[in-house]
Amino acid sequence: MNIRIAHLYPDLLNLYGDRGNITCLQKRCSWRGIEATVHEYRLGDELPLDETDILFLGGGSDREQCIVSEHLQGHRDAIQSYVESDGVLVAVCGGYQLLGHSYQQAGETIAGLSIIDSYTIAGERRLIGNVVMRCQHQQLVSAPSSATSVVGFENHAGRTYLGPAHTPLGVVTQGYGNNGEDGGEGVLYRNVIGTYLHGPLFPKNPLLADFVIRSALQRKYSSSIALSPLDDSVEHRAHDYLTRCRLARCQ
Amino acid sequence: MDGKTVAVCGTNGKTTTNNLLAALLRAQGMRVICNEIGSNMIAGVITAYLECCTRTGRVEADIACLEVDEAFGVHVLPHIEPDIVIVTNLFRDQLDRYGEIDITRELLVRALKKVPGAMLVLNGDDPLCASLCRTPPRVRTFFGVSEEVPVPTGGESISDESDAVQTEAREGRFCVFCHHELQYRYYHYSQLGDYFCEGCNFRRPTLDFAAREVRLDPHLAFSMNDLPVQTAYRGFYNVYNVLAALTVATLLEINLDDIDAVLASYAPQIGRMEEFVIDGMPAVLNLSKNPTGFNQTIAAMRADTRQKNVVVVVNDNDQDGTDISWIWDVDFEQMAEADAGFARFVASGIRAEDVALRMKYAEITPDTVLFEKDVRRVIEVLLRGEGEVTGKSGASRGEVLYVLVNYTPLFETQRVLLDLQAAGSAARADATPRRRRA
Repeated sequence: MNIRIAHLYPDLLNLYGDRGNITCLQKRCSWRGIEATVHEYRLGDELPLDETDILFLGGGSDREQCIVSEHLQGHRDAIQSYVESDGVLVAVCGGYQLLGHSYQQAGETIAGLSIIDSYTIAGERRLIGNVVMRCQHQQLVSAPSSATSVVGFENHAGRTYLGPAHTPLGVVTQGYGNNGEDGGEGVLYRNVIGTYLHGPLFPKNPLLADFVIRSALQRKYSSSIALSPLDDSVEHRAHDYLTRCRLARCQ
Repeated sequence: MDGKTVAVCGTNGKTTTNNLLAALLRAQGMRVICNEIGSNMIAGVITAYLECCTRTGRVEADIACLEVDEAFGVHVLPHIEPDIVIVTNLFRDQLDRYGEIDITRELLVRALKKVPGAMLVLNGDDPLCASLCRTPPRVRTFFGVSEEVPVPTGGESISDESDAVQTEAREGRFCVFCHHELQYRYYHYSQLGDYFCEGCNFRRPTLDFAAREVRLDPHLAFSMNDLPVQTAYRGFYNVYNVLAALTVATLLEINLDDIDAVLASYAPQIGRMEEFVIDGMPAVLNLSKNPTGFNQTIAAMRADTRQKNVVVVVNDNDQDGTDISWIWDVDFEQMAEADAGFARFVASGIRAEDVALRMKYAEITPDTVLFEKDVRRVIEVLLRGEGEVTGKSGASRGEVLYVLVNYTPLFETQRVLLDLQAAGSAARADATPRRRRA
């Protein structure tokens, strides 16, 4: 088996160690004997979505996000049909904001891709800190009505509001999430993960990484896939540090 | 105070630059105010003045050399009214405190606008830094390296490293003024090099103080506008720190005839490739607090042909930056290569779990990675080869121990190393007669 990961604009959208997420997906595939190749796309490149199994859009600074949003409009329809046919898309931070209808920058409202029914407005204060959230999505938990935790770090001035059709990726038990008001963090829609948690999201949340890999394989090979288990003790130790010690220390 | 005031800002190299400048001035017999240990926020700057203050409040000094945190420059610079502001570089650092590199630059722009009379001394090789000369236009001086640094024989090279640099997060790839991607005639590391923009006329400015004939082995040496400079430092990045200090010394019309003596006797600051010997084992402590600095440290370690043990200590206290995502932008992969000469690794500090995770995904052989949050304990175990860490023997197979720390573990770790060094010397003194008898 093999999958193709398309990393969009790594030269522009690469704040906060997004690279760690790509490395993580690639390694967790190769440790299972699944070949994962990463293809980087830059401004002006063709984007062969019919050959893409995982699409990754990271976070950038305002200036760079602005450059990207203009160029991405040309790929909008293709990305939408990719998403609606269960293509896997991971969008972090600025990339997450771009998926919505609009976001604001320096007093201006800039059009997004409208792939997700959401919009982002500029907040005065940046929302910064460690995040712990509870996820109850059926795709992510082993048993019905159970929950799992996802941890990470957020740093954003934007406040994102989801439309009624969407449910957030999780509900924060520590941190601010999408807008600091409704408790929701990120979005999970079909095989799209949008989140403000940047940097090493997948390494510390192997469950989320494996959901992405499994979804990509199932779509590609049109069959139910069971990933072979890995020794995730190092991952869990880093994850649990934030859910346990961190809570005590931060409050 | 009647004398001049120099402020040093920038992500990396503030302390080294500022202290070297202070040393050059003191060698001239000047009385210098200096916040030597890198206390660069408001309290640290005030303290530096108070230390040179008489009881009646007179500041008895000829000149002030102050490193100032770039994000706090807005508050600090108007008070100290600097005659000269040095900006060493702008890299990604402590993101949760400043937001993004553009925000850091913006804060610095606002700070510089408040001191329009100050002359700027800027790293011309850094486009983010050089662009500051228009804030507003004023007297400015640029320093930089005006040649592609050749591969030094028998050691690790800057050029060799550029493969890794391609994957390294590079700030300021795009022109600050017109947003076109910058082109490079040649390139040093991170975003530093001889750049130009095809979209507007922004380009590396003419360097007023240019380093050429840069040599790295065994120590950094170069010529600055035909003045030969020999340092006691390792690491290419130090060329900028020395250049910045010498540039300002020249502008202040300091006699540079004796710089060899100053540079040779000038001890590196705490935790800047600071060397110790513990029970006969050499140890090196180096502050590595952001990807650019850390990658430069890895390059320096790889250039060291000895078998190396490496302890990585990462804390996430406020002064460190509570976001440690930056460790994923560090090329740990460069230490995983079998021929790179690394024996053992230790993940340590408050965020040891994350360091170990980073090492795992760099595919550093798991058997070589130890996990121990307590720095003192881990150094003892590694150096003395006594005891176990996470169920593995700590016995060292290395010939040198490198301890890489971010900001808050620095002082404690230095104390541990000094203690062990002193204890080792005492033990050796005790042991000497016995060895003689044998």
